[in-house]
Amino acid sequence: MDAVIRIEQLTRTYATDGQKVTALAGVDAAFARGTFTAVMGPSGSGKSTLLQTAAGLDRPSSGRVWIGDTELSKLNETKLTELRRDRIGFVFQAFNLIGALTVEENILLPGRLSGLLPDPRWVSEVVERVGLTQRLQHRPAQLSGGQQQRVAIARALAVRPEVIFADEPTGALDTTSAGEVLSLLRSAVTDYRQTVVMVTHDPVAASYADRVLVLADGRIVHDTPQPGADRIAEMLASLGRRLVAVEG
Amino acid sequence: MLKLSIRLLRARLGTSVATLVALAAGVMILMTLSVFIVSAAVYKPDPGRYAAVDVVVAHRQVEIVTKEFDGETSVTTAALPEGTVPADLGDKLRALPGVTEVQVFPGPAKDRVAAFGVKGDAVKAVERLAKENGVEAYAGDDRGFADRSEAGDARSFLMEAGSAFGGYVVLLIIFVVTGTVGLAVRHRRRDLALLRAIAATPRQVRKLVMAENAVLALAASVVGVPAALLATTWVHDQLVSRGFVPEGFPITGQPLAAGIAVVLILLVAVVAARIAARRVSRIKPAEALGDIAVEPSRGGKVRFVSGVLTLGAGGAATVFALGATGMAAQASAIGLLYLYVIAVALLAPWINALAARVLGPVLRTTWGVSGGLAVANLRANARGSAAVLTALVLAVGFGGSVWFLQNNLQRQTVTQSQDGMKTDYALVGSMPAGTAEKIRRTPGVEAATGVRNTSVVVPIFDGGEAATAKAVDTDGLSSTMDLGVDKGSLDQLKGNSVAVSQLRADSSGWKLGDGAKIWLPDGRQVTLKVVAIYDRGLGFADVLLPRDLVAGPDDQVLVRGTAVRIPGATLVPASELTGQLSRDLALSAWLNKLLIGVMVGYAALAAGNTMVMAALARKRELAVLQLAGVTRRQVRRMVTAEQVGLLGGALTIGALIAAVTLTAVVNALTGSLLPYVPPMGWVVVLGGATVLALVTTILPVRRLLRVPAVHNAGIKE
Repeated sequence: MDAVIRIEQLTRTYATDGQKVTALAGVDAAFARGTFTAVMGPSGSGKSTLLQTAAGLDRPSSGRVWIGDTELSKLNETKLTELRRDRIGFVFQAFNLIGALTVEENILLPGRLSGLLPDPRWVSEVVERVGLTQRLQHRPAQLSGGQQQRVAIARALAVRPEVIFADEPTGALDTTSAGEVLSLLRSAVTDYRQTVVMVTHDPVAASYADRVLVLADGRIVHDTPQPGADRIAEMLASLGRRLVAVEG
Repeated sequence: MLKLSIRLLRARLGTSVATLVALAAGVMILMTLSVFIVSAAVYKPDPGRYAAVDVVVAHRQVEIVTKEFDGETSVTTAALPEGTVPADLGDKLRALPGVTEVQVFPGPAKDRVAAFGVKGDAVKAVERLAKENGVEAYAGDDRGFADRSEAGDARSFLMEAGSAFGGYVVLLIIFVVTGTVGLAVRHRRRDLALLRAIAATPRQVRKLVMAENAVLALAASVVGVPAALLATTWVHDQLVSRGFVPEGFPITGQPLAAGIAVVLILLVAVVAARIAARRVSRIKPAEALGDIAVEPSRGGKVRFVSGVLTLGAGGAATVFALGATGMAAQASAIGLLYLYVIAVALLAPWINALAARVLGPVLRTTWGVSGGLAVANLRANARGSAAVLTALVLAVGFGGSVWFLQNNLQRQTVTQSQDGMKTDYALVGSMPAGTAEKIRRTPGVEAATGVRNTSVVVPIFDGGEAATAKAVDTDGLSSTMDLGVDKGSLDQLKGNSVAVSQLRADSSGWKLGDGAKIWLPDGRQVTLKVVAIYDRGLGFADVLLPRDLVAGPDDQVLVRGTAVRIPGATLVPASELTGQLSRDLALSAWLNKLLIGVMVGYAALAAGNTMVMAALARKRELAVLQLAGVTRRQVRRMVTAEQVGLLGGALTIGALIAAVTLTAVVNALTGSLLPYVPPMGWVVVLGGATVLALVTTILPVRRLLRVPAVHNAGIKE
């Protein structure tokens, strides 16, 4: 398998107020090129931590992460930033954009900071694809939530990253806008063979993915290819019942 | 990067303005101060009576060479009021090859002349000869320095004021700018975390923050430099009208002063940004993903330990300042204020947390639910409010100590002078030495003392300095002035002897019976036996010399008994003498008060600035509170309660620091442990700080509350 991301025995613990909290308790996973994976799980299951450590935004307590052939723990903060800038795209739940900059400047920001501006033809194709051609000179504050997320996707696509990480990208959106954003992510995989890893709690959002990983208590408890929204909802519900059973 | 930073600045005008104001005021203050120092430094007095000669040999200053601990030698100079040159130097000068003519400017005694004017092209040789004989040679533009003149006095007065306050002003500006820049950067944590997550390396974020502040510093100069030009004109007019500086004294060097101020502010702003950015580049990029940017609520161990150490240093300095007296103690006591404020700045997170705990019950009882919220905020935001606490403590500490110090000095001087003056009147004017002798023989006159006011140069620990001196007629001295003699007796003040004030004895390390090495007003170095030590040094003089050690006429004769008139002298009743003294003091205090006022004002501006900035940064938080069901009234009450909590800590600590500093210095100067504070003084300082804290927070919050909460809840902070 042509794995773009590989994760090996990943653990992450936090110490808050003297108490040790385990967010990841040994996770192994690989994400193949041109796939769309949804990471799901109840609150506190470690899904956001998994995304942050896999994307090099946070450092694991132990274990290793590879993006392509690069092992992240060997990189210092600057090299890590350069790797994120050149090979990873991000779409967060909200506040994705720098308010002082226009839509166009936001899209070009990673390129400007790396000194390698992306091919203008590619950028205009991306912008057209996300439907923002008329809005390039607007400020983020003048856009709706869905439009802001589309700007973030355009920014992520502009550098042609190997992988796009999305953390609840539809969490703050209505159903229609959410559908648009998810279709865009889907087409990034289908049309451009990019790899998308998306954390979500919404079974409908997860149904756009090729594969669903379900986390509970810092471990992968389900790894299912294209299960469909109903099956996902069922898995989550059974997980809820199991948790209740354990706790009760 | 620069383009990006300008874009980011324009979008956040609110917080940029706060930094801009602090920087612009800094440029204005620094440049104004620099203009006067530069003007004084480049000033060359008119050569006057020496215009026709090439080199003047005179004795205007004493050079003291001291060995430092590391073996280096340092040279300090102290001015001589009436230095003279040995008369026999004339023949040696005439013998120098290249000297065509030597003019003699006669002095008060036969063997000492005021100066030699030398014509010819032997400048180097004359300089060498002068140096060998312990006097100086003034050639070219410097000839004017060979005579004491009004403009020359103005020059040294400006240099003195500049060197006394310059360092403190720069330190204050560093303090304020670092605090303001740090706070401004802290408020953008989220934006910077996002930049870090998507694209920017730590180095790029640091560069961005530094570039932003460099742009702000340059923008501040555009405002600050013209403001400084206006301030310079105003201060110059004031100095002239108060007689500090003669009207024709040239004020020059504005471009140089502007350059100094702008470069210094730019440097301070960029370094402050670099320090603030050090924290920022440690932001975890993952913070950009969260809903709120959380920062650690306390500082690290290093900060705590440094804070405690600084506080310890302050404590040690206080003990030293209170234990010793004299000039060394005075200098260390003013440094105390800064030490304490730095300690507060470092310990601020813990102080805030402690204040929240101690004042918690009071706030909860007084303000109910809002008070409870306020306590939670104070505790959670203990680190964020560090800048606010420091700025408030600085303003209160400064206003409460240095300002009153001047009052204490003036008051003590007048009191000492009043208590010690036993005469009925004084004759003021130039009278030949021996006039007092004649007056004493007049029927009805009980006692008369001839006085010549001058100054001598005395050794202090790292060199020498000028000290006020009175050369007095010792006959019947105890009937005309009571100096409050502590040890020894003034009866023995004859021949090679001296009486000194307690303050002077301490700073020069003299005890009763010691041989005191001093430079007399004419520049001769002599060893005089200390025969008396007295308390009223401030009211009279640091040093009391027998009249015959100093040549020249009397300028005052103090008389007890019937009024006697002498042609050319004015008769001044004793009551008016002290009145005149206090008027003179008030006049000379004016510049000190102006400088201190500017510093207190700047500290207050910084405090207000910081609080407005902190209040405006709470847009989102206050909106979320409202959406959660807290009414506007409750939000306002919460903010008031928070300010009261913060003020409680700031006022207590500020007042404590001010009290310790003031007591230390006043004790050093007067021996009194109870400083005098004008009745309204504390009211103004504490009340002013309270009003400032409430107005600069409540008004911005009111403005925020006018916008519907829903509008603000979704935006990022």
